[in-house]
Amino acid sequence: MEKERLYKIDEHQARRPFTVPEGYFDNLTQNIMASLPEQESIYSTTIKVTPWMRIRPYLYAAAAFAGIFFCIKAAVGINNRHHSADVAQETTIYSDEYIDSFLETAMIDDCTLYYTLVDAN
Amino acid sequence: MAMMAYDERRILEMLHEDEISRRRAFESIVNNFSEQLYWQIRHMVLSHDDANDILQNTFIKAWTNLDSFMGYSRISTWLYRIAVNETLTFMNKQKPNVPLETDNDGELSISDQLESDPYFDGDQTERQLQEAIATLPDKQRMVFNMKYFNEMKYEEISEVLGTSVGALKASFHIAVKKIEEYFNKID
Repeated sequence: MEKERLYKIDEHQARRPFTVPEGYFDNLTQNIMASLPEQESIYSTTIKVTPWMRIRPYLYAAAAFAGIFFCIKAAVGINNRHHSADVAQETTIYSDEYIDSFLETAMIDDCTLYYTLVDAN
Repeated sequence: MAMMAYDERRILEMLHEDEISRRRAFESIVNNFSEQLYWQIRHMVLSHDDANDILQNTFIKAWTNLDSFMGYSRISTWLYRIAVNETLTFMNKQKPNVPLETDNDGELSISDQLESDPYFDGDQTERQLQEAIATLPDKQRMVFNMKYFNEMKYEEISEVLGTSVGALKASFHIAVKKIEEYFNKID
């Protein structure tokens, strides 16, 4: 039986069977560069700065500061309300008569009393 | 003005400078890569006019998207990726129009088209080889052309196509088998 002759890729040297018009590669860079859009139009579409874009960072910063300010104010307000409520509660618990009798029996002078009250606040 | 020598590091710097520098840097890129990209595209679409159009579109796309090129890959890899996408888009549009064999409507087969193409100087076997390559799926065809005709390394192809070296080797091997089978059928 006659041996079949099979086509083998590696038996054929890779050859480029294509050609180009004469001088094509000599002018290619020039032709491509001539076909590119103007750089100005690229800039105008990509980095055109609108007034909104200009003030936007300042607005964001102002909003952030306002947010922080209100958060702090709200937190301090809550603490103050708690503090006022505690003081009011203590005031009602200890009447003036009770404090006077306490002072008479406590054996402390005015100066010590002053420092005690300052420390308590 | 004389063309600047190709220095990738310097070119990357210039691409972020003023308009004139950007244009000079890009001109150097075009000068350095246009021919190899042309051949990559030409092997896929076969016609010189189509290859020329796709090459122009590739560079226009690269130019208008310069800002998005961050320099994480080599310029050549970035350009090849754009060229591959442009080529595949073109081929998807063309697909129904190019039969492998001349059909009843008079549409010329690839072999017949090449025979009448003034910019094809291959013999019958080379026309048949192009016809066999055209039977491959697009990506396999791309891998085969990059490896066989453009002699790119698997690592380079891997960067461009985003496929592992192992998968590329397998793809090339299968492509070779299919082409050889194609020839053996017509013998």
